Amino acid sequence: MNIIMDFKSIDDILDFAIKNEQQAADFYNKLSGDSSVKEMKNTFAEYAKEEEGHKARLIKIKDTGEYNVKEEEVLDLKIGDYLVSAKTSEQMTYQEALILAMKREKAAYKLYMRLSEIAPNNNLKNIFKNLAIEEAKHKLKFEIEYDDIIYHEN
Amino acid sequence: MDILDYLKEERNKDWRKNLRSQIKTKDRTKTKKVKMPEENPDIRNTNNIEVNSGLTKEQALLEASRCIDCANPTCITGCPVGINIPKFIKNIESGDFLAAAATLKETNSLPAVCGRVCPQEIQCEEQCFYTTKLKLPPVAIGYLERFAADFEQNSGEISVPQVAEKNNIKIAVIGGGPAGLATATDLIKFGYDVTVFEALHEIGGVLKYGIPEFRLPNTIVDVEINNLKQMGVKFITNFIVGKTASFDDLRKEGFKAFFVASGAGLPNFMNIPGENFINIFSSNEYLTRVNLMNAANDNFDTPVFSGENVAIIGGGNTAMDSVRMAKRLGAKRAMIVYRRSREEMPARVEEVKHAIEEGIEFLNLHNPIEYFADEKRRVKSMKLQKMELGEPDDSGRRRPVPIEGAIEEIDVDTVVVAVGVSPNPLIPRSLSDLEVSKWGTIIVNDDMQSSIEDIFAGGDIVRGGATVILAMGDGRKAAIGINKYIKQKIKK
Ligand SMILES: Cc1cc2nc3c(=O)[nH]c(=O)nc-3n(C[C@H](O)[C@H](O)[C@H](O)COP(=O)(O)OP(=O)(O)OC[C@H]3O[C@@H](n4cnc5c(N)ncnc54)[C@H](O)[C@@H]3O)c2cc1C
Repeated sequence: MNIIMDFKSIDDILDFAIKNEQQAADFYNKLSGDSSVKEMKNTFAEYAKEEEGHKARLIKIKDTGEYNVKEEEVLDLKIGDYLVSAKTSEQMTYQEALILAMKREKAAYKLYMRLSEIAPNNNLKNIFKNLAIEEAKHKLKFEIEYDDIIYHEN
Repeated sequence: MDILDYLKEERNKDWRKNLRSQIKTKDRTKTKKVKMPEENPDIRNTNNIEVNSGLTKEQALLEASRCIDCANPTCITGCPVGINIPKFIKNIESGDFLAAAATLKETNSLPAVCGRVCPQEIQCEEQCFYTTKLKLPPVAIGYLERFAADFEQNSGEISVPQVAEKNNIKIAVIGGGPAGLATATDLIKFGYDVTVFEALHEIGGVLKYGIPEFRLPNTIVDVEINNLKQMGVKFITNFIVGKTASFDDLRKEGFKAFFVASGAGLPNFMNIPGENFINIFSSNEYLTRVNLMNAANDNFDTPVFSGENVAIIGGGNTAMDSVRMAKRLGAKRAMIVYRRSREEMPARVEEVKHAIEEGIEFLNLHNPIEYFADEKRRVKSMKLQKMELGEPDDSGRRRPVPIEGAIEEIDVDTVVVAVGVSPNPLIPRSLSDLEVSKWGTIIVNDDMQSSIEDIFAGGDIVRGGATVILAMGDGRKAAIGINKYIKQKIKK
């Protein structure tokens, strides 16, 4: 987390977050590309698009300085928190991919919460909180899928 | 004929009218619902004898008289294979038990099985007039189904349904579970040359390797399978399609269409730390060892660790079967560990009731998060997170949420994971053109036809883990789909 402490300007923070969103999009694009199952390909391509959407939003904020934020609470089922991380591979099952994705979204959530703590002004704090919420929503979506399918009888 | 017209015509037959006039509806509804005779819980939890012993003739006659033979028999809408329920019940009331069995077999080739294992409380019985309008216990449709089917099995006068003239067109059914058996029944009736390929040494799928004897004796399943053999269905066991032979091999042998009914035999694990310690089993492995490999029999050397403190993770039928089996194998504590509350348990209501009577402990709203082992890597304890139910989400389901800091550790020496199942991946992996969902289920159209035109599929391989009757419903639909496909092919 040291990199975070080295930010010198708001743009620095935003650039960092933009890069982070791009990495997330790359991650999902890779999962999509590696999968031989059409439905898995499509699902991950969709997630990649959402992360790219986040990136676009951050770029817009950086360019225009404008944003709007809404406050909401997202449920945390903490399913992903207890699972052993999976390794990426080309024959990955959807269950393994979900575990990776849940862990990734949780890490992204924590990162944005941290960024929101160190952000120099309230506006920026809110933006990061909002992005954290977005990532929490992603995680919840994955957790609900895991809950419904893998834990079908649990 | 339209199905509603058919039902009406049957209902208007003189014998049905006579029966209706014999007892007033008001008097019918005064009769109390029958109680299924059961083995003593303290004795049955030490043996494998079937828990429900079946209605007596007198009980069946009285229960059948509760059915008021509604003009609008909503019960049928709750049955995935559309059994003519009032007709078979009135057959029983009139004392013609063999006719009742024949009525059941018009649409259900495994009535003795379904009478025992269908979740009637959320199907036919939920739609019964007593449940919906009178707010009274429903007619015991399931018990009566079992009664009629058993009566026929024990009578020695088992009717073999009529089969059309042979057309010598070969069809392969892959998997000998309820989906495969239901398709085979209908296809053989249509005149096809049907071969069922089964990977295991026994036919029956989950009915044999999953559901234990104390709930569904194997002999009951065997009678139904013998019936199919008599109709001309061929069975080849120890044959794994995709391994022993490929689809192309079978096409070369002349098979013109395939029905994939390979089930959902791949157990899900939770992926929590320590889950691969020794004596942590999947429910499939645990039950198969006991049911098919005689692990509970001292004269066989199949190992199954019958521990003292056994925890089963999950709340479905598989979990109930495993935990009750653990008790029978001698466990001092046989526990269900389930993340939600009793009301959300997907198991049949009767299984939960029987489990409670047999001394099973229920740790509801508990979720395992880690296992610990001794120096030999054998599991010795588990960490449990207590849960509470959150507000209903968009789907209306209340999700379990961990209670911060509420964690406990309990001793266990055997754990059986029964959280859910996934489709068998072998066949989808062996066919690159076969379209599957991200969860590995085969994608089919309304005729149960897959993305490869001569391959149809149904049951758990299409639905993920579901039920016997839904698998059979798929099988019946697929038989019609296959028949349609073959007819179109011949025309070309
Ligand atoms: C322990 C347990 C208890 C259950 N209790 C109930 C209950 O009380 N009520 C209820 O309605 N449902 C119950 N179910 C669910 C129900 O049994 C299943 O939904 C149903 O059996 C699915 O039928 P199927 O024919 O699709 O598959 P299965 O019954 O799984 O049969 C599939 C068959 O295909 C074979 N096979 C797989 N791959 C190949 C291959 N490549 N080549 C050849 N053969 C292959 C398998 O060996 C197996 O015999 C229970 C399930 C379990 C595990």
